[in-house]
Amino acid sequence: MKRLAAALTLTPGAALACALPPSVILTLPTGHYILAAALTVALTALLGVLTDRLPPLQGHLLHEGADLWPRMVGWTAGFIAMAVLLAIGFQGADDPLHNLLTLVFWTGVWIALPFASMVFGDLWRPFNPWVAPVRALRIALGWRGSVGLSGLGHWPAVVGMAGFSWFQIVSLAPDDPAGLAGLMLGYWLVILLLAVAEGEGWLEQGEFLTVFFALIGRVAPVWRVREAGRVQWMVGWPGAQVVRMAPLSLSQMAFIIVTLGSLSFEGLSETFWWMGLIGENPLEFTGRSAVIGVNTLGLLASWGLTGAAIWAGLRLSRALAGGGFAAGPVMLSFLAIAAGYHVAHFFVTLITTGQYTLWALNDPLFRGDSLLGLPPFYISFGFLSDPVFMQAVYAVQFAAILGAHLLAVILTLKLAGRGLRNMGHLPMTALMVLYTIFGLWLMSTARGA
Amino acid sequence: MKTTLTGIAPSRRAVLTGMGAGLIAGSAGLVRPVWAQAAPLKLGFQLHATGIGASYGRWYQRTADAALKKINEAGGIGGRPVEIVYEDDGTDPARGAEVVDKLNSQHGCDLIFGTLFSHVVMGSAPRAGELKVPYLVCSEGYHVASGALNRWTLQPGITDVRSQISSMAPWVAGNLGKKVTMFFPDYAFGYDHRDFFTKAIEAQGGQVVAQIAIPPTETSYTRYFAQIPAETEVLYHVMVGPGVLTFVKELGEFYGSGAKPQLFGFIDSLEAVDTATPGLEFLEGSHFWEAHPRVKPADAGAAEGDYRAAVGVDDNGASVADAKDVATYSHMFSAWETLHFIKQTVEASGYAGVADRQKLVEAMEAVTDLPYGIERPQGAKVFNGKTHQAFGSQNISKVEGGKLVKVHTTTIDEGKYDDGVDYTTMSF
Repeated sequence: MKRLAAALTLTPGAALACALPPSVILTLPTGHYILAAALTVALTALLGVLTDRLPPLQGHLLHEGADLWPRMVGWTAGFIAMAVLLAIGFQGADDPLHNLLTLVFWTGVWIALPFASMVFGDLWRPFNPWVAPVRALRIALGWRGSVGLSGLGHWPAVVGMAGFSWFQIVSLAPDDPAGLAGLMLGYWLVILLLAVAEGEGWLEQGEFLTVFFALIGRVAPVWRVREAGRVQWMVGWPGAQVVRMAPLSLSQMAFIIVTLGSLSFEGLSETFWWMGLIGENPLEFTGRSAVIGVNTLGLLASWGLTGAAIWAGLRLSRALAGGGFAAGPVMLSFLAIAAGYHVAHFFVTLITTGQYTLWALNDPLFRGDSLLGLPPFYISFGFLSDPVFMQAVYAVQFAAILGAHLLAVILTLKLAGRGLRNMGHLPMTALMVLYTIFGLWLMSTARGA
Repeated sequence: MKTTLTGIAPSRRAVLTGMGAGLIAGSAGLVRPVWAQAAPLKLGFQLHATGIGASYGRWYQRTADAALKKINEAGGIGGRPVEIVYEDDGTDPARGAEVVDKLNSQHGCDLIFGTLFSHVVMGSAPRAGELKVPYLVCSEGYHVASGALNRWTLQPGITDVRSQISSMAPWVAGNLGKKVTMFFPDYAFGYDHRDFFTKAIEAQGGQVVAQIAIPPTETSYTRYFAQIPAETEVLYHVMVGPGVLTFVKELGEFYGSGAKPQLFGFIDSLEAVDTATPGLEFLEGSHFWEAHPRVKPADAGAAEGDYRAAVGVDDNGASVADAKDVATYSHMFSAWETLHFIKQTVEASGYAGVADRQKLVEAMEAVTDLPYGIERPQGAKVFNGKTHQAFGSQNISKVEGGKLVKVHTTTIDEGKYDDGVDYTTMSF
């Protein structure tokens, strides 16, 4: 790359610029919005501490009935859908915007499905593409035992999420359909092997997508409880499920830290601030190949800093409060922040690249079909330079970040323990305020690449 | 293994064969010309589908698809159907070189075209030279004509930036003023404007009174405006990126409603952006360079309407489906014109397969006049076989009522300069 950089500076030819559209957001008084959001988070914590009056966060039964959902149907459908998508990944177009695998994975599985799961609870679980083949293989092999993988806790999923994040944020070509298909197939086979050896229940602690969806689905205001052939549909404020969760294990905490740190760096790595730091010109970004090393370090640093900041906040709070603030329960608050970040970061991708996905689902072979009954339409990004629309987009991101942090503050107050000194809430509240500012700054600052 | 035509999902290139899917989702053509049993001509397209160039890539693909559809419906090239194989380069030079390899070796493309970003061209052209595959770029960089590349790399579909910039000077000096202050981003793109325009305006008896370079990561500009000399008659600006709206807004606040110099800019700043966008009011009455005027000029040639209809762009330069979705209109014609240049030279050379690649490049080098017509909706061009570079006329438009109204067209000669290289003397 250095040779190339030298060649570029020695050549009189100029790069064509104007890659990045002018940003409407940069002309808004976002500093005021960020200040207001930070104050709102701080005041919420203050009022919560002083009045000790917090929303009850209870679940209410909406409907109860027999559990008629034939689960194996969903699991089999998930497995078949994945197989078909992989085949398309290998055999279909090399152009990622015209390949159903790339589109469905990056805008569907990674964006739309998590968004839906934040509203309706874990929607990955009913279609988990491993369960059906694992169960079938274990029956065929007559193997009912385990090999002790469960003793590793959630660490395998931590490794999975870390690797996936690197692939998404840093690697050269995460959108390349064949590359993505190859990686998915390899990962699927490894997990299949391990789950056959250990049992399908292990997926819930060893497979990162299964863990991710289970956690992120906990902030949903609607969820299902299945027991003994009965299913209960529940409704309650976001967080109502979280306060009833068991304290997190160390590996589960690590999973949340890696998830949150990755989302933070995903946003940060695109900012002019980061580009300036690593000596990249954002108006003439060299491309991913030039920044793999430094962005790998950045991602590692982001995980480290996220973990250190939360650990320091908890330790300080505990010291000042005279107890409480056990990591296991309080770390659950950061689930809300991870969910809010996910929405804020990927919302624009959903409404831009999501159009290609809709098109590809409507006409998967690009031959004029209309499987979804949609009329012909052009892919359109005109709204990206429409001030009114972009302010609405920013409002969605703002609401996601602010809402997530308000929920996180309330959860922290609820989970920190009883009978603590009020001062103890100061460090964790400060951390939440900083996270609010950081999250909104990421959405407001100049970004490239 | 990949992109076989009989896979579970036919590849896009297979679908494009003979019907040109266009970018209308769900409308891909039902017209299927009946081909003779000729094997298709396979053209590789190095596409910025992702990365920093993606906003351009979307329109380049739409334009190339439209040209492909037109050519196939009219009988293909040399009686053969044509396929375009799109490969995403991530707007990354390292991937660009890989894509050249892949299009050549894996897909067996006859040639490669469509590359826009100069750093991707610089990263890919050497590989194209090694593989001896014709590589036709659409980047408007001066790198081709400067002699930095090789015998296999040509730029037949768009005038280079040196010519574009130089040809502006006579009109600017004659109509706006001779004392110019330049605002440009502090890197190669800006330096081209600084160097070529400064020289060209001096040749017109004018003078650049200040050159103000703005760091690429800057997002606030007011403090730089204090450096504008009072004697300035023309403010030449080529700011690009997310900060452009802020730049215009702060410039407006700086001058208020008082006296201000004439503004002259390059449409690169606002390519794909509606000039009527709130916040850009200060640009009213100012002038812009455009290669291809986005608002259909009153005196537009006969081909203009047909080209717009084929690409799905209305008379304001926006998508027919969304008036806010403004095209990268000033640049994307190069994908269309390059494809037609390929058609012309493949047919003239009697190209039959990869063994004829050298013959094809020689036929390209022999081209001189490229007359106006549906093949070249931007305008007639002259091709210089020695420098591998096309030269065309440029346009100047004025913002009137938030719209870009063409007020002047340069001659091709105004953009000419002495040859910097003779590629025809180099070995293949």
